[in-house]
Amino acid sequence: MLELLPFLISGLGVGSVYALSGVGLVVLYRASGVLNFAFGALGALGAYVAWTVLDAGLPMWAAWLASVATAMGLSLLYGWFIAPLLAERDSTIRSIGTLGLALVLMGFTEWYWGSSPRRLILPTDAIGIDLADVRLTGTRIISLVVALAMMAAIALLLARTRIGLKMRALANDRGLSAVLGVYVLRVDTVAWLLSGAFAGVSGLLLANIVRLQATLLTFLVIPAFAAAILGRLHSLPATVVAGLVIGVLEATAILLPGFAPFRTAVPFLLALLAIILFPNTQRLA
Amino acid sequence: MTNTLIQRGARAAALLVLLGAAMGASSAFAQNKPNCGLGNGKKATGEPIAIGAVVGKTGPDDFSASAASAAAYFRCVNDNGGINGRPVNYIVADDQWNPETASQVAAKLVRDNKVVAMAGSSSFVECGANAKLYAQEDVMVIAGTGVPRECFFSKNYAPVNTGPRVSATLVGAYAATAYKAKKMVCVIPNIPSLGNWACEGAKGWGKAHGVEVETLAIDPGSADATSVMLQAASKKPEVILLNVPKGIMVPMLAAAEQQGLNKKIHFVSTTPGYNSDVPKAIGPAWNNAFDLHLEFLPVESAGPDNSNWKAVMNAYADKDAPRDSFAQGGYLAARIVTDTLLKLDPKKLDRASVSAALRKVSGFKSDMLCKPFYVGNGARHNGNSSGPIAQVSGNGFKQIAACETAQEPELDDIRADEKKLGL
Repeated sequence: MLELLPFLISGLGVGSVYALSGVGLVVLYRASGVLNFAFGALGALGAYVAWTVLDAGLPMWAAWLASVATAMGLSLLYGWFIAPLLAERDSTIRSIGTLGLALVLMGFTEWYWGSSPRRLILPTDAIGIDLADVRLTGTRIISLVVALAMMAAIALLLARTRIGLKMRALANDRGLSAVLGVYVLRVDTVAWLLSGAFAGVSGLLLANIVRLQATLLTFLVIPAFAAAILGRLHSLPATVVAGLVIGVLEATAILLPGFAPFRTAVPFLLALLAIILFPNTQRLA
Repeated sequence: MTNTLIQRGARAAALLVLLGAAMGASSAFAQNKPNCGLGNGKKATGEPIAIGAVVGKTGPDDFSASAASAAAYFRCVNDNGGINGRPVNYIVADDQWNPETASQVAAKLVRDNKVVAMAGSSSFVECGANAKLYAQEDVMVIAGTGVPRECFFSKNYAPVNTGPRVSATLVGAYAATAYKAKKMVCVIPNIPSLGNWACEGAKGWGKAHGVEVETLAIDPGSADATSVMLQAASKKPEVILLNVPKGIMVPMLAAAEQQGLNKKIHFVSTTPGYNSDVPKAIGPAWNNAFDLHLEFLPVESAGPDNSNWKAVMNAYADKDAPRDSFAQGGYLAARIVTDTLLKLDPKKLDRASVSAALRKVSGFKSDMLCKPFYVGNGARHNGNSSGPIAQVSGNGFKQIAACETAQEPELDDIRADEKKLGL
């Protein structure tokens, strides 16, 4: 058990960002029925913009603002101009549409910033708590707190506010909601903006905790999907717990001889398990 | 009268200044003028000689710097009399990091373009895919950079670089001596034909010198570098040897720094860390604290051949073409092939005579190499098994140890071949 502890603590950092990404996916899915494949690419582009801001000598708050604003802006543009064109198609086609956005954004990021190795350093990396031979850096602590806080905020928004009610109504039946007077485009706009904000925050944190690389960050949407599926694309607390579990299992898998070199398979295995255990989610997805 | 004298004096002084400036410029020009092939300044106009290269340009990483550098050298050769009057038609093919594509492009080069040899190749997949073809068709490959095991275990494939195994052996041996290490962990990506093989050399050296070297094979696609560093640190080593591409190395060093491991353990690396972007990317915590093996002398070194390489690149390559160790390898490969072809009768030049002549290459000297390079007639080739050690210094590197030659059990046959050649 003592041997496991450092990896458990280390996995919590990555897991919290998987949880945050999973919540971002569930929010959009619950409001608009779209599984956003571009979530990782939006976060990656936001993170590269943040790196550029930090490289120019600007403060950390400016980098956070730039990352979140970039991801929100691009997400909003897609939600305004492309998503409505697919509004009448079924959920699968609307989700696959975001795959196109992911590839365009990933291609642009790789072309513009190139393949030179970069590192996104945040001042919060320098502080931390030492626990069981591992340092839980300030950035990892922020990830955990932000994941829980954003989950609580979204849960409140969906349950207690008028816009939350409209989002839930839209998720149930878009056509009927529109007939009843819900402004579909306006509610969709809020959902895309929220999803973009989650992508911006997650992208910046992952670029720091994991690595600043466009392709990797784009495909880190997979563990987030696994977390969302384990949350049955509905439950925010279950998605957060699933994200943390995926992060911790991926980290502790390094101790399994033979499996360690293939531990990136952990999210896939868990997602498959979830699809088998929750067949209704498979139909939803 | 006085005014006239002053005017004359001023004119004479101005003339002298101009003359001095012109002489300075011409001397600077002379220093920067590349020297290639026959060096006669005459454009080659005869029947072209086809030489090929296979590179992994598009894919997970761009491995085309070797061929870009070789292409610059061949363009310079063609402007300087070619191969005794015949220009080189240098054909570079991209294998897209796909073994099937690698086989297709190599077959086209060998069978359709009728190349007499290959020079400056640099690919992760082509050694395994094409070694048999090159042996069957008797085409010799003087590669700029070889990475997987197959590149060093083929009769017709002779890379100019040391390869990751020898590089790990040399930097491991250096670290053991410099830091009095008795325990090391060698981190390697779990990639076929690279995997454990590239750390086994350091292990073999360690066994003979009382140093325990443990291999940690990692999933290169994993996002979690912190766990890799914690796992390596849990073995309680004095040194962690990174034998990974730079894209994975930077986040590993970042994770190690965040965990404070850079203050407890020495970190060293094989040549992939020797990249001008790395010092800035890893940050000031690694200043004077990260050592690397170099497959050639530093790119900044002032030797005449290294200066000539840079002059060739300035005159004949794109402004943005990398000036790194891959490019050094490509230049050397092109020089070896050019020097060999120049010794042959241009009228009787064919694949058989070129391959035979390339196998006889021995004692090829360059100040970019620690020791003279050779090809030989052995069943496999690792003609460069030396190199110096550099350390991150500010936003660049400084050389901290002179050339050493690797000693490990797998090189025993190579040493026997060298003995036969009288080297």
